[in-house]
Amino acid sequence: MSSQGAYGYAVARIRAMEHRLLDQGVLQRMIDAEDFASILKILGETSYSSALASQTGGSDFDKVLESDLHSIYEEVRTFVPDKKLVDIMRLHYDFHNVKVLLKSMFNVRTGGKKRWDLLTSLGSQPLDDIIANIETEEYRLLPFGLNTLIPACITVWEQSRDVLEAERLIDKRMFEVMLEMARELDMPGIVSWVRTRIDGENIRTLLRLKRFGYDTAGALPFMHDGGTIDVGMLASLISEPFETWGRAIDFSDIGKVLGGIDASGGYSNLILSLEKLLDDHYLDKIAAARYSQTAPENIPAYLWAKETEIKNIRVIAVSKRNKGDKDHLRRLMRHGYIG
Amino acid sequence: METMLATISEQLGPMLVILGAALAVGFAGSGSAWGIGIANEAAAGIMTEDPKKFGYALVLLALPGTQGIYGLLVAVLSLQKAGLLGGGDVTLTVWQGLGICFACLPVAISGFYSAIWQGKSSAASILMISKRPEQIGKAVILPAMCETYAVFGLLVSILMLNGIKL
Repeated sequence: MSSQGAYGYAVARIRAMEHRLLDQGVLQRMIDAEDFASILKILGETSYSSALASQTGGSDFDKVLESDLHSIYEEVRTFVPDKKLVDIMRLHYDFHNVKVLLKSMFNVRTGGKKRWDLLTSLGSQPLDDIIANIETEEYRLLPFGLNTLIPACITVWEQSRDVLEAERLIDKRMFEVMLEMARELDMPGIVSWVRTRIDGENIRTLLRLKRFGYDTAGALPFMHDGGTIDVGMLASLISEPFETWGRAIDFSDIGKVLGGIDASGGYSNLILSLEKLLDDHYLDKIAAARYSQTAPENIPAYLWAKETEIKNIRVIAVSKRNKGDKDHLRRLMRHGYIG
Repeated sequence: METMLATISEQLGPMLVILGAALAVGFAGSGSAWGIGIANEAAAGIMTEDPKKFGYALVLLALPGTQGIYGLLVAVLSLQKAGLLGGGDVTLTVWQGLGICFACLPVAISGFYSAIWQGKSSAASILMISKRPEQIGKAVILPAMCETYAVFGLLVSILMLNGIKL
């Protein structure tokens, strides 16, 4: 149900919450910082100070970021009229948890260990419930059609030991659910954004598959339906050089983004550049509604900006720990929501 | 039957004046309440994060409230002109009553719509000062533009009332 008239309060609050986002100056200082300790010091002067106060060691840094993001999701969920608007942004964490649990299950069956340390609390569904339902094989209690999907993934793995195929099925379902949720919200801007994300994910997958030498027939099953670009047409691009992809799909928003990528580096650089440009494009697209004081798109725009900020901090932290090159680091930075 | 028709024609004039006054207050007041409600949502949103913005927000919240005052003013002037406030006998023809009723419409209509749109403008300006409080001057001017048309409505209503000969 759309209740766009009810977004006056929510958008105003989001606008005020934007003050908590880090500005370019702070990110710049972090990039120029000498070491990881300096980054912590800079973050201590920002909205992350309270989350950092609970940190006991460097290994907890990821948990600090996760807890900050979690508190933002929970806070926004309290005042957004349509809770699905927040849930749609958290959906990939739910499916990430499902993947971790399934892979842990497969690992245990082959003599390995569970990797529950990779689970995240950022999903829209209570993590304990998901764990309990999968562990006890009470799949019927799982949401998002996982009741049939998980047994299907287990069967695929038992027959072929192909984890990639199980992951493919889970990803496919995730984008189906995302689009269903967007359509239920009845907000054209959100539907359009989700479709753009599907296009972006398809192109990202296609580039990775091209690196591994897949052909059109092999790539087609990995494409997700629901985007603005026909999956058959997309899959056929795999046999073409990457430089021509932008021209082939220039009728779409993503096509114009691809045109801006320097394809002269190797695949690793190309994938990094593509991911950065796609993240920026998703933000630009959803933040186009920022001048409206009642547009529900402002909610996912802020949440995406927060996700992007966390991603930027993680990239800087990893680079500092590994004494990475500052110029390379600058190139990896996603752009912010507010100029 | 004749008596009934005579009573109706005698009372219809004052009744039309009352109708006009009711429309002026009712529509302009509703518009103001609606507009303030829209601006309130935005103000509450930013004040949840930063209560110190109350002072800035209050100025912008008050703007859509003026149309209700204009409606009240025209209603009082109409009732006064028709002699309905004094408690004495009122003798108005139907045409005089109709004239006063029509004179109330400009402020009723312009007040209603301008207050709603002013509320929306105020809400947008409140979002603006949440980021740039130093721009409060400009933020007030933008919704004040909508006020112009409520003032036009008020002016025309008063001119029309003055033009009716009793």
